Amino acid sequence: MKTPTPLAVLLTALLSVSALYAYEAGGSAYTKRAETNLLTEPKPLAASAAKLPFGRVVKIEEVNGNWLQVSDGKATGWVFAGNLSATKPDEGKGMDALPMLASQTTATAAARPLAPAAIEYASQKNLSSAQADLEWLLTECHAVTPEEVDAFMQENKRGEYK
Amino acid sequence: MNPRLLASLTALLAAGTVAYAAFDFSNLSKAIDSTKKATTKALDTAKDAGKIVKGVTGIGPEEERNIGDSVAIEIISRYGGLVRDEEVMRRVNLVGRSLARYSDRPELDWRFGVLDSASVNAFSAPDGYVFITRGLYEQAESDDALAGILAHEVAHITGKHALNIVARNDAFGALSKQVSQRSGDARELDYQLRQVNLSTDLIMKTLFEKGFDPLTEYAADQTGHNLAETCGYAPGGLRAVLVHLKEKGENRRTTFSTHPALAERIKRLPDE
Repeated sequence: MKTPTPLAVLLTALLSVSALYAYEAGGSAYTKRAETNLLTEPKPLAASAAKLPFGRVVKIEEVNGNWLQVSDGKATGWVFAGNLSATKPDEGKGMDALPMLASQTTATAAARPLAPAAIEYASQKNLSSAQADLEWLLTECHAVTPEEVDAFMQENKRGEYK
Repeated sequence: MNPRLLASLTALLAAGTVAYAAFDFSNLSKAIDSTKKATTKALDTAKDAGKIVKGVTGIGPEEERNIGDSVAIEIISRYGGLVRDEEVMRRVNLVGRSLARYSDRPELDWRFGVLDSASVNAFSAPDGYVFITRGLYEQAESDDALAGILAHEVAHITGKHALNIVARNDAFGALSKQVSQRSGDARELDYQLRQVNLSTDLIMKTLFEKGFDPLTEYAADQTGHNLAETCGYAPGGLRAVLVHLKEKGENRRTTFSTHPALAERIKRLPDE
């Protein structure tokens, strides 16, 4: 994996900023979620037309405000621009050869435990109090469900609910 | 699109491109010499394959989790523990996860917390951890301001700024190669722990002593600004907080001590 220099990081940021405004009909973009829902209309609660997997390149057919009508050659539908990436997302296969997508570790009833190596690290450094705080944080964060986040966004008109 | 914003972005891009081009060409012969030397050195040490493996494989999710958890523990330890207030926790996580949804890593398990410290700062750790101090949280009365602060830290994680520092380290590459060749839970944990010790030390030096390179910080400001706007928050949220802090009297020891000066960040961020 190439590790970018700070200058490359800044240029990438500048390009990504300009790219946000550069979505236009005829251009392309990438899906970045484990599953991207294409909708029948440019509205957040519209029916699903198709679902695309991570990293799929799509052609932009039409732009309607922050909504894009896209096609991957087989399926066509509307998607909020923030759900796509102007640049190809990193598949992130590393030394442990696992896919990057945390979604593939599927939601469970309990918060995930700390990594065993981190628990050992805390033990060796006598950081038991901080470890307890972090375990509390994991539990609290897990208690805020994706549905609650979505309801918060709807109520406050955030993202695709603008 | 606002023509002023377009002009600013064009100028920024042009400046960046010119700087990049100048870097490329004026240093071309030096770069070639440097590459030759690096290649010779790499061949000389090729028996230590670990130094090469880091260049081709990167840091995987399990390693990122090990490092992220450990760095998070260190941050919590050094900044007074966590504020255990459920209402505060809920607010930062609702705002933070709204932002993360449109980030370049929407599938990470994002977690946001408030550190019980009166200093004004914010930190991120790999694998989706974002921390803001109580001193900074108290400056973020509106969700627009809070979103601006959190979005900057989200950008550090999506840009893998801390992980890149680790990935560039030769010793980490060598250790990672050894980990990938091990079998047996106990032995693997031992190597993972060595990996965690090394990478946490590298990241802590950056977070608490040197800070990220200023260009990396400005990039995080830009990406965060962009992310806040995409999510429907006022894109000038972070800038407003920085201006407010500057007007109150910037103390480099207690206010964003590991970030570039407030004036420079304010100057580079768009007004809105």
